Amino acid sequence: MKILIAIGSKQYSKSTLNLGMKVAQAFNAKTTIIDVGEKISEFSSQLVELAQDQMESWDFDPPGVDVLEWAFNYLSDNSLIDSKQIETGFPKNRLIDDGEDRKLVYLSGTVCEDVNLILRNGDIISELREEVQYGGYDVTIVGKSQKRNMSHDLLQYINSSILVVNQYNNEKFNRVLLPIDDSPGSMKAAKYGIRVALAYNIGIDIFTVIDNGVSTEDDSLKVSKILKLIRRSGVDHTYLEEEGDPVEKIIEKANDDKIIVMRASTMSPIKRYFKGSKPLSVMNKCNVPILIVK
Amino acid sequence: MLGFSNLSLSNFLFWATQKRWFIYAIIIGIILILLPHPQGLSDQAYTSIVILITALILIIKEPIPLPAIAIYILLTQIYGGIDSADGIAKAFMNDAVFFIMGSLMLAVVIIRQGWDSRIALGILKITGNKTSNIVFGFLSISAILSSFIGEHTVAAIMLPIGMTLIRFTSSDTEKVKNLAAVILFSIAYGCLIGSVGTPSGGGRNVIMINYFNQSGLSLSYFEWMKNMYPFVLIQIPIVTWIIINTFKPEYKILDSSVRKLVIKVAKSRSMTGRNTITVMIFILIIIGWIFFSERFGLGTIALTGVFLYILGGFVRWNDLNKHTHWGVIILFGATISLGTSIRSTGAALWLADQVIILFGSMMEMFPFFSDLIVILITTTMANILSSSATVAVLGPITMKLVPDMMHIGLVTAASSAFGYFTAVAAPACTIVYSSGMIKSNDFLRLGWRIGLVSILLLIVYVNTYWRFIN
Repeated sequence: MKILIAIGSKQYSKSTLNLGMKVAQAFNAKTTIIDVGEKISEFSSQLVELAQDQMESWDFDPPGVDVLEWAFNYLSDNSLIDSKQIETGFPKNRLIDDGEDRKLVYLSGTVCEDVNLILRNGDIISELREEVQYGGYDVTIVGKSQKRNMSHDLLQYINSSILVVNQYNNEKFNRVLLPIDDSPGSMKAAKYGIRVALAYNIGIDIFTVIDNGVSTEDDSLKVSKILKLIRRSGVDHTYLEEEGDPVEKIIEKANDDKIIVMRASTMSPIKRYFKGSKPLSVMNKCNVPILIVK
Repeated sequence: MLGFSNLSLSNFLFWATQKRWFIYAIIIGIILILLPHPQGLSDQAYTSIVILITALILIIKEPIPLPAIAIYILLTQIYGGIDSADGIAKAFMNDAVFFIMGSLMLAVVIIRQGWDSRIALGILKITGNKTSNIVFGFLSISAILSSFIGEHTVAAIMLPIGMTLIRFTSSDTEKVKNLAAVILFSIAYGCLIGSVGTPSGGGRNVIMINYFNQSGLSLSYFEWMKNMYPFVLIQIPIVTWIIINTFKPEYKILDSSVRKLVIKVAKSRSMTGRNTITVMIFILIIIGWIFFSERFGLGTIALTGVFLYILGGFVRWNDLNKHTHWGVIILFGATISLGTSIRSTGAALWLADQVIILFGSMMEMFPFFSDLIVILITTTMANILSSSATVAVLGPITMKLVPDMMHIGLVTAASSAFGYFTAVAAPACTIVYSSGMIKSNDFLRLGWRIGLVSILLLIVYVNTYWRFIN
């Protein structure tokens, strides 16, 4: 399992890093923390690079290094990296430029496998997409952006499961909300839900929304398989069937104290692009963390 | 769908989203080409205007890399029947492109010579420790240097000096927000103000001189300075005052930070013989620009300097190659060739006529009105486009607006430096913005004040001082 945690600044990324590392711990995943700096106009990019070289000769760090340093300090404070590395401190001067417009720091994790820090510059979606393709990540964890279309672009173009952190309060969350249906993706979502529930030592509220009020025998069989899986995991759970609009029901059930884990849309990318999808609607409307499993 | 997997459809959608401005530009171009041509405009002239519109969209939004935009401009001119491949190629490479190439390469050499330490000492010796004097010193030195060297070089040299002074005042950035703003803006705007002072201050000036030459006009380095340098000197105190009054710095005196900076600079490496030779070569380049540019061209002299630096081993080719943005050079070549096509096909004259039809009566009634129109259009474009590209495409059009081509050409060049409003308007602004100490909103907050004052000042200046000297 490989997890990518995208951070942006010291002020706004603490909850993303908190939840991200908790999930990484749950999955014992190889984790990469990435900061994507602002895109620079191509007209000035090389001149800015030249100026930054000059700044380094006056002991100034390139932009973004301070964010990586803050992430390093977070990992140190929470003993999430090897003690030897904590002692030597943030290896500012040993940032590796891998020639792919990325600067890297390799660290050894304690509660999860290796932890890497990466600095990139450019358009956030393009950079995350490239990083996910390059590193083969299973889950990308990001904070909620104020930018319009950001959620849409994340779901549409990032080829991994997406966890949007939203308003996250470690102490407040008491249940995982797992909306399921008869689609194959629901089984994978259930597996992710179980891992999250085990990491937080909380239960799962499973529920199925029957859109048209009719549930077939086949549907019930698939749902019962998921229920069986959760029962076997030993996680405390409840199951509920409801009728109505799935998006409204999920948001209502999530309240402000649950983590939603749901499958990604099964629609074709073209349909999804123009019509949107249920996971996107939920993501846009809810204020709790939401993991969309692809 | 049609056998395409969801992944390939998703990849296609991503490509289309990333390139949407390219797609819009092409659709707009096709629609415009299919529309009936306006009367009095030849096919070639109309096509060149359509290429101009689509190229502007591409340059502003950058949906494809700059070299690809350059290739687009060249190809569409040839396929659009504006000129033969040889004709377009001839307009593509000229002295202005040589100058831009030379200027970008000179920046690589000069920035690495340790002039920053000497400059820091020089400024602080003159200004002392009073914040307002230091801001005035930063702005003056940036303006004077950038009038000869090129704004991007000066900004890169001055930025670490300014940042060190800020850091020595307080390491808590929240406590020195306004101080950071006044120092960094004095560097960025000083560079912009100075860049119009001499022809070598920026690629756009050389592009304009090139257009003057194409129109049979001649303007020496000295004559340019006589016309433009007083405007630089007038702006320096005014802009300093506006900067200090917009962002009132937290500290009026920078006593200990100045002392710390002086100590740091004194401890840094001293000037070597090689550094002195690089300075001497640069002085030779400036002398060459002043006395021989009319004969050999500014670009040729800049490249001679680069040649001497490479020959003397003062810079490695790998370094030059790594830090010279060839894409920008190719793009400027392409925009200059487009500007030439706009002029030669008669599109420039037609566009100028449209402006005259719209504002002709006002222009007759108020002689300064044509200046105002040109300044407003140029300033607007320079803030969303590169200033050199603005002059490359606007120059041929504005020069057809009034009989005095030299006057309006210089007004265009001067106002193309008014890139005060956005962080991306000029390399100097982008460089100081990249420090992370100022926000993009700050450019607008300060920029509109300085922009407004500069526009009014330029109108008064060209209609009083120029009349007096010419």
